[in-house]
Order: sequence, then structure tokens, then C-alpha cells
Amino acid sequence: MENKDIMIHLRDINKTYPGAVPLHVLKGINLDIARGELVSIMGASGSGKSTLLNILGILDNYDTGEYILDGTLIKDLSENRAAELRNKLIGFVFQSFNLINYKDAVENVALPLFYQGVSRKKRNKLALEQLERMGLKEWAHHLPSELSGGQKQRVAIARALITNPAIILADEPTGALDSKTSVEVMKVFRQLNDEGMTIVIVTHDPNVGAQTNRIIRIADGIIGTDGKEVSSN
Amino acid sequence: MIDLSKEIWQTLKTNKLRTLLTGMSVAWGIFMLIMLLGMAKGVINSFSSSDFAKSSNVIQLWPGKAAKAYHGLKEGRRVNLRERNLADIERDNHAHVTEAAPELSSSSMKISTSKDYITKNYSGVYPEAKEQKKMIRGRFINENDLEKQRKVMVLSLKTAAILFDNPEEAIGKTVNMSGLSFTVVGIYEHRWQDRIYIPYTTAKALTAYSDKLSTIRVTTKQLSTEQEANDLEKDIRGTLGKVNRHASDDESAVWVWNRFANYLSHQQGMRILNIVMWVIGMLTLITGIVGVSNIMFVSVRERTHEIGIRRAIGAKPRSILSQVIVESVALTTIFGYIGIIMGTVGTTILDKMFGNTDFIKDPTVDISIALEVTAVLIVAGALAGLFPAMRALKIKPVEALRTE
Repeated sequence: MENKDIMIHLRDINKTYPGAVPLHVLKGINLDIARGELVSIMGASGSGKSTLLNILGILDNYDTGEYILDGTLIKDLSENRAAELRNKLIGFVFQSFNLINYKDAVENVALPLFYQGVSRKKRNKLALEQLERMGLKEWAHHLPSELSGGQKQRVAIARALITNPAIILADEPTGALDSKTSVEVMKVFRQLNDEGMTIVIVTHDPNVGAQTNRIIRIADGIIGTDGKEVSSN
Repeated sequence: MIDLSKEIWQTLKTNKLRTLLTGMSVAWGIFMLIMLLGMAKGVINSFSSSDFAKSSNVIQLWPGKAAKAYHGLKEGRRVNLRERNLADIERDNHAHVTEAAPELSSSSMKISTSKDYITKNYSGVYPEAKEQKKMIRGRFINENDLEKQRKVMVLSLKTAAILFDNPEEAIGKTVNMSGLSFTVVGIYEHRWQDRIYIPYTTAKALTAYSDKLSTIRVTTKQLSTEQEANDLEKDIRGTLGKVNRHASDDESAVWVWNRFANYLSHQQGMRILNIVMWVIGMLTLITGIVGVSNIMFVSVRERTHEIGIRRAIGAKPRSILSQVIVESVALTTIFGYIGIIMGTVGTTILDKMFGNTDFIKDPTVDISIALEVTAVLIVAGALAGLFPAMRALKIKPVEALRTE
């Protein structure tokens, strides 16, 4: 397992939310995802799926265990370091697109580079390239409100790709889309995966899971099946 | 910088009306501040350009009557100021005295020309007695006049108007005083002074070379506090008491007009006026600042999700903090400058209406007030943005995952 082609390595991850009745959400998660994999994480609500996503996305801390992302140990990071690593290593794709509504497509796509201090000219050029890759060149200067759901999600994917991240982390990327558009977006993911991108999709939609190479099921805070086979579920 | 200003422009644009309303309260605050400071400045200008303020480094002494017995001398006796006292004063108080000059005034004399006559007293003076008198024609008494005991005379415009048909052409004409011809060498203008000046030496000759003086004018230097001015006054009284044989704490033996001490207490009053104006202006401005703080709070709350997204895609806490604060400073400064412009127009109108009265002179804002107000704006804007920015910092990147 100590392979340098391991992109995500989780070992015995535990997470408890403190409170009057402490909530033990993740109860020893062990998971490895190889470079270039397209996997889905599926689970019912309350299964710990969202918490796992937060930890994978360096949006939240875990209590015990070890998380190594692309060779970097992700543990007890300062807010600044966490922001830096999120910016560099992870491309987020969200269910509700999360585009900034008063910025046009190019500006939205270029935003992660703004936080890297890349010059305006350069990042707009790169953003335009990414939009072109998503087939949205002619929509570059439209506001999110002028785009369809599928287009918005493709803009969001362009934004996720612009920093050339180690992984794409998608949270219910088709949750707000109709079935036809969902198929399109999944096609984009598959294509990116064919080009070598490691993609983790968190979903509860079996159809989406079915289009990934591996389904990781989480239930009650532990990983259920870690099969390499695509489930026919 | 362009990016930052664009970001700010975009967020302000999305809340046009609210931005405008809040901005107006800041502009109003600054407008009030400028108007108040302008008026304070006008009052101060009017004071410092007055003759009173300009010749404030002079202490004048007049002879009086001793109110206290001294070494066998009875109270009630007349105390004279004599010419030798000038040297005494200069010697004993050289640290703060530039010069002590004598003045010799007469009783009323008939002064006449072919046109008319008046009955006035004259003052025999040294050149320094010119003080702030504005010479509109000719010159004041000079050293040559003193040396040669010239029979020359300086008149006020008012007196000249009585004695001559055309007072502005009186220079070189002669007037008659107690049978002697005096040549007019200068005409001056002053708000209230109306005396006739001749050289001190000439006056002395007219009074049979008596060394009794009617006034001593002490020009002071290096006085900065009222305490120092009062100490100097006390020292001079001490000197005179010793040489003229009267009690040095006998205030009626020598009458003293300490203009510097008066001047300082006026200065103090002016400073307080200025401070009061600042305080009132700032209090007005605070209303505006609270408004800005409020709008920033609302803005941060409304953009919780957006800030979460920014954090998720790699914005560091510092960049969120600075964005909110810079936005607040920009909002305050932009509308503050509108207030400065309004204030400049306002004070200019004030200047046109009251600029020439005795109370207000040139109330318009100068560069130093503008700079001070700019500094106030930036600090105020930063303060207004600080608390909303701290709120923004508490927003976790996980917010991005929350569906709207």
C-alpha cells in the first residue's frame, strides 16, 4: 500500500463532534485512492459522508489518524496553510455550483489564481483556456445568472481545474441538474479522468456512482465495501 | 490594486441604494466637520490678524502712585518713570527683553493748518512704536529724525482729514504746533488709534529736556508661556521698585499692560475653540461611521456563503480581513471626499457672506485641514470595517458546502 501512486491515504481517521452528547461520526476510516482513479463515495445522510468530504477537502480537522494527500500530511494545519493547500491541491465542484454571482465566468474561473497572486492578465488568459476546454468560450463574459445549470457546473469545473490540482473533489455535482445535463457533466468527469485526473465524487445518486470506477460505501461512520468492481446497484 | 478596487466596486454596486444612503451620512459628517473647522479657523484668523495679536510681544508701563509706604517714603506719592529706567530694565531682564523704549506724551496742544485746527496731545516716540500701523502715505518716525531732533510729524488718516482738504497729499505740508512748524512725513491707518507722533528727542526738547517718561514700551522675546510673561512682569516691577524706591509688589506704583499674557490666554481660548469644533465634528462623523460599520456587517452576513466559497478555494484569512476593511475604507473615503467638496463649497460661501466681518476671516479649508480630515477618514473607515471583518473571519470554509 505504501505506493507513491497513492493519491489519498486515510488511516484510522476518527472524528467526534463535541457537545452535550458527543457525536462519534467517523469511527476509524481506512481508505486509499490511487492516482488517476475516478471513485464515488456513497452513503445515506448521517452516515458521515459529509464529514469525510470535509476532511478530504481540508475544510475540517479530524481527531486521530492520518491523512496524506499527494504526499503531504494533512494534520493540525494553520488556517493559512490549510487555505494554501486547498488552493494548490484540491479543485472543488459543488452541488449548488457556488459561483460568485456578480462575477462573470472568466472572473469566477480565475478566482483561485487571484489568491495565488497571479497577475490579472495571466490568470484571465488561463481562465479562458479552461473555459474553452469546457466548450464555454463564447460564454466567458456572461454572469452565472445568464447560464444554464449545466453551463454553470462546467464553469465550476473549469474553476476547479485552473490551479492544476492533485484531485477534483465533487460534492453531489449533479444534485441540482436534470438527468440529461447530469449525463453531460458526468461525461466531463469521465473525460477528465481519462486524461489522468484523480476525481472523488460524493453522491447519493446510484446512477452517478455507477459511472465511476469504484464505489466506496460509508455507513454509520465506517467504510463498508471497498470493492474495485463497479456495483450494479 | 486594480483587482481590489474592482472587487470593491462590484460589491458596492450590488447594494446601490444602501451604499448611497450610508455614504451620504458619512459625507454629511465630513461636511459638518469641515464647516465647523472652517468657522473656527475663520474666528482664529480674524483674531490673529487683529492689531492686538500682532503687537503682542510688548509690555507697556505707565507711572502711577505708590499705594504702599516704602523705607520711610509715604504712600500716595507720585512715582516717576525716568529715562535711566530703560537701561535698568534692559540690564536686569536681558534674557527676555529686546529693548525698552521711552515715550513722552504731552498734554493737549492746539495743532493747526490754514484749513482747520484740532486740540490733541502728541507722543514723542522711537521707530518701534510703529507696531502694526499701516502707513498709507510716507513713513513713520526714523532714527535720523531722532538724531537730528527734526520737527516731523506722523498723523492718522482721521486727523489728516481734518487738517487737510486732501489728506492723501499732506506729505511735505506743514502744520503749526505751539508756534513751531512741523512737516508731515507720514499718514497711517489704524482701527482705533488716532495719536499724533513726533520724534522722542523733539518731544524731549519741547518739555525742557525733562527725563520723566510718560510710557515705557518693553519689547519682549522668547516668551512662550503665560507663566513666563507674568514672571517677566514681576521682574520688571522688581527692577523698578529697587531703582525708583517703591515696593516691588506695589501694583499701583507702575501700571503694566502685559499684552503677551493677554495674547496667550486668547491663544489658549482659540485652541480650545478648535478642539471643541473637532470634537463636535467628530461626534457628527461617528453617526456616519456607525452607519458604515452597520452596512459592512450586513454585507458580511449576506455574503457568508460567498466568503465560504472564497475560503474553500484558497482565500487566506488575511485576504478576507483586508477585503472587508479596504472596502470600508473605500466607502468612507469616497463619500468623505464628497463631504470635503461640499464643505469646501460651504466654507467658500461662508467666506463670501461673512469673510470681511470682524468675526470671521478667510474660513476656507486649507491643505492641512484637508490632510487631517483624510487621515481621519482612513482611520474611521478602518475602524468601521474592523468589527465586521472579524465577523467575516469567523466564517468557515465549510459554509461553501451548505446549499443555499
